[in-house]
Amino acid sequence: MKMTSKDYVAYLKIVAKKLEENKDYITELDAATGDGDHWANMNMGFVKLMELSPELETLAIPDLFKKIAMTMMSVIGGSAGVLYGSAYMKAAAVSQGAESIDLDLLAKIVQAQLDGIMSRGKAQPGFKTMVDSLYQAQQRMEEAMKAGKSEKEVLTAMKEGAVAGMEATANMEAMRGRACYQADKGVGHLDPGAVTMCYQLETLADFLLQ
Amino acid sequence: MKKIINDPNRVVSDMLRGLAVANPDVEYFPEAEVVALKEKSGKVGLITGGGSGHEPSFAGYVGKGMLTAAIAGNVFASPSPDRIIKGFEAADSGKGVLAVIMNYSGDLMNFDMAKEMVEMEGIETRIVIVKDDVAVPDREDSTGRRGIAGTVLVHKVAGAKAAAGASLEEVAAVAQKAADNVRTMGMSMSSCTIPAVGKPGFSLGENEIEIGMGIHGEPGLERTGVKTAKELASALIERILADYDYSGSQVAVLVNGLGATPLMELNILTGEVDDLLKEKGITPYRYFVGNYMTSLEMAGCSITLMKLDDELKELIDAPCEAPSFRI
Repeated sequence: MKMTSKDYVAYLKIVAKKLEENKDYITELDAATGDGDHWANMNMGFVKLMELSPELETLAIPDLFKKIAMTMMSVIGGSAGVLYGSAYMKAAAVSQGAESIDLDLLAKIVQAQLDGIMSRGKAQPGFKTMVDSLYQAQQRMEEAMKAGKSEKEVLTAMKEGAVAGMEATANMEAMRGRACYQADKGVGHLDPGAVTMCYQLETLADFLLQ
Repeated sequence: MKKIINDPNRVVSDMLRGLAVANPDVEYFPEAEVVALKEKSGKVGLITGGGSGHEPSFAGYVGKGMLTAAIAGNVFASPSPDRIIKGFEAADSGKGVLAVIMNYSGDLMNFDMAKEMVEMEGIETRIVIVKDDVAVPDREDSTGRRGIAGTVLVHKVAGAKAAAGASLEEVAAVAQKAADNVRTMGMSMSSCTIPAVGKPGFSLGENEIEIGMGIHGEPGLERTGVKTAKELASALIERILADYDYSGSQVAVLVNGLGATPLMELNILTGEVDDLLKEKGITPYRYFVGNYMTSLEMAGCSITLMKLDDELKELIDAPCEAPSFRI
């Protein structure tokens, strides 16, 4: 695989569409355990990215990631904005000098994003957050690569990990974010942040598998 | 959704534009959604920030004797680090800047990141975190107790301390003392609608209220039937007293409306609160009654008690020219 900035923007477009289509689902999930604004804020971020897409397509990979970081940070706001901002800043740092993304770089990017989010949010896997989708995706991707699996198998493992991580949040007690104020700590509900993170990882895998 | 707006995604900008029109003492920085005093004080700056939807928190408290700058996030979402950096810069007169913020994951992360960045510019900063909501147990392993209406009283005393020419350390110490001695308990009677979402975040039955609900609609402790003002005062104050013993102390009392509750009802509640506090051997020193920390158009209220020593009494009584907090 060889993903250019133009490809990356094409991938973001699919995420933007998927987010838009799932407005009610995400908002209801968030209203059940949080304050119902996660979708609105994420959507605002992706709408802005789409507005910027002609410019984004022309940027080198690290600059693209920096621009995405600043945009998500400032437009999404809240917890999600600063966490995605931190994730893409770290992604920019590990892609210095890259003209396109191959599987090895993708693995480094996913790892860097996970590190960025965990350190900014002082969060661990199992806290019922977006970390859970990303952590499982990263773990399974790394295992598949170590086992010498094909590119297709690695991407499928990443996607399956994201979905498994997201699904696992249903049984977790929230330790971060507004769901931790609930008497039951949100047990029984998927974490909306894990769901939107999963959308992005799933879409990325599907995009690259095509 | 019936609201006086132009565009659900522009409510914060449009609101602050209007606020600055009505208050010539402040400047509005549109990109950063920051409102700051035009005149540099030459003293320690006091800032805060958080999600919008809690008006007059916080831009309404920018004024001499209270906040130097307020940074607005989107509705119910923390402002981003780039906005907060602008707030720190706008509030700096060379003596450092204290941020007094509420204890939410988003606010903590965004302010921390902004603090790291402005310290590289050479601005000295401190952050004090308010967590006054007794509906939530305070714990070390998770984000813990929320900050709600009591935060406004912390801003009042810290702003007065800064106006008196105190150092950054002294202003931070007073803010911390106030934060340590303030507790709040609230209840909600109806939901609210985030403009960009377009429908209510939850629903309550016709005769149902929720004790301990958060100011973003976070679930509370219990849903019960409608209570009289007297029963409600008791339900809320008992919760506060179970968490912090105010007996024998003088307190500032904030009877706060969440947005849709008429002042008539808040005043009825205040009378009951006063009876109850005196019965418990607590002396109300000064009352504040009105919409101080709201939740869009939610109906409901909260009661805040802050224990006052001589220093805090003087600071709570000090002159304040913020449009939504005049003394």
